[in-house]
Amino acid sequence: MSGQTPLPAKVPPASAGPSAAIADMPLEVIGQPGVPFVEIETLRAREFIPAAKEALTSLLKEQANGKLIRPVFNWAGRNSLFPLHWGLACCAIEFAAAFGARWDAERFGVVPRSSPRQCDLLIVNGTVTWKVAHKLIALYEQMPEPKWAIAMGNCATGGGPFRTAYSVVPGVDKLIPVDVYIAGCPPRPENLLDGILRLEQLIKERGA
Amino acid sequence: MKTNELAARLTSKFGEGILGVDEFPGLLGRVRFDAAIASKLFHTFRDDLGFAHLTMVGAIDWIDHREVFYTLWSDADRVYVMLSANLPSDAPTIASAVPVWPSANAHEREAWDLVGIRFEGHPDLRRIFMPEGYAYHPLLRSFKIHEPEDLEVKVRSE
Ligand code: SF4
Repeated sequence: MSGQTPLPAKVPPASAGPSAAIADMPLEVIGQPGVPFVEIETLRAREFIPAAKEALTSLLKEQANGKLIRPVFNWAGRNSLFPLHWGLACCAIEFAAAFGARWDAERFGVVPRSSPRQCDLLIVNGTVTWKVAHKLIALYEQMPEPKWAIAMGNCATGGGPFRTAYSVVPGVDKLIPVDVYIAGCPPRPENLLDGILRLEQLIKERGA
Repeated sequence: MKTNELAARLTSKFGEGILGVDEFPGLLGRVRFDAAIASKLFHTFRDDLGFAHLTMVGAIDWIDHREVFYTLWSDADRVYVMLSANLPSDAPTIASAVPVWPSANAHEREAWDLVGIRFEGHPDLRRIFMPEGYAYHPLLRSFKIHEPEDLEVKVRSE
């Protein structure tokens, strides 16, 4: 979409309002979560920086009027998903490969973080045993809202080859809500990237 | 030392407590003993016979009884020996080997967790593989594999 309308035209006009006591004002949410604020991802890099600058400037103006532009946060959130760096079993090797030089998931803004408090995406990459189940829940509960979860591989999806074992949780959706399931034993890094992009699509459609 | 020498030494010391010493390929022998003399037997093997290292503790459910076995290694003789005791299924209790060989700690926790053997005198007999509060000993033959759909999810017990 190169014949894009200029950005400021899509930004709702900033109404003149009181600028004092901003901190105490409740934030009014405007816009529909599913409506993309602007198709920034389709811009070229050369156009991106001025466009983003204008968008953020007008966003800050809106904020000063006590309004929160939801689609902007939806756009920003879905393009910078931070998964938790938590390797469980063999699928974690493919998870690691996806963030290496060859597949380079960081080009989609996906950066693994070491603390659940900095994350909004939990990728369950491996076999979850009953012993570790409550720790998985604790990690999920420590992540700030909004948050999503991906079950990566057959083990996380449904127990995989260990489905009837006494020690393995037959599907991680018995423990936490899961948004995207990725099949494979293990799934290739491309499958993981596809799952992440599908999750981005889901966030775009469903809203954060 | 040969298997029959070992048998003679042990029988002269413990008498009825030793149920038999068998030849066993790759080992000095397999000593079947009465669980009542376990603690004294462990001390004898470590202090008098020089088996300073406990390699493993295992347990088997034979349906009518359960068996616990210990594999020991002697650095001086460069030889393994196996000790084995039968326990009744309704009260599978034996003295812990931890006071003699501290390496028995994790092995005995495993045998308790999976086969349900009670080790008296163990400093910390908790489950090791299954979560605390799990109701079964899953390597018992009476254990039924759950159908995953029937599983009752009880993980928030902690
Ligand atoms: S799905 Fe396969 S590769 Fe992934 S954790 Fe399970 S057994 Fe390992």
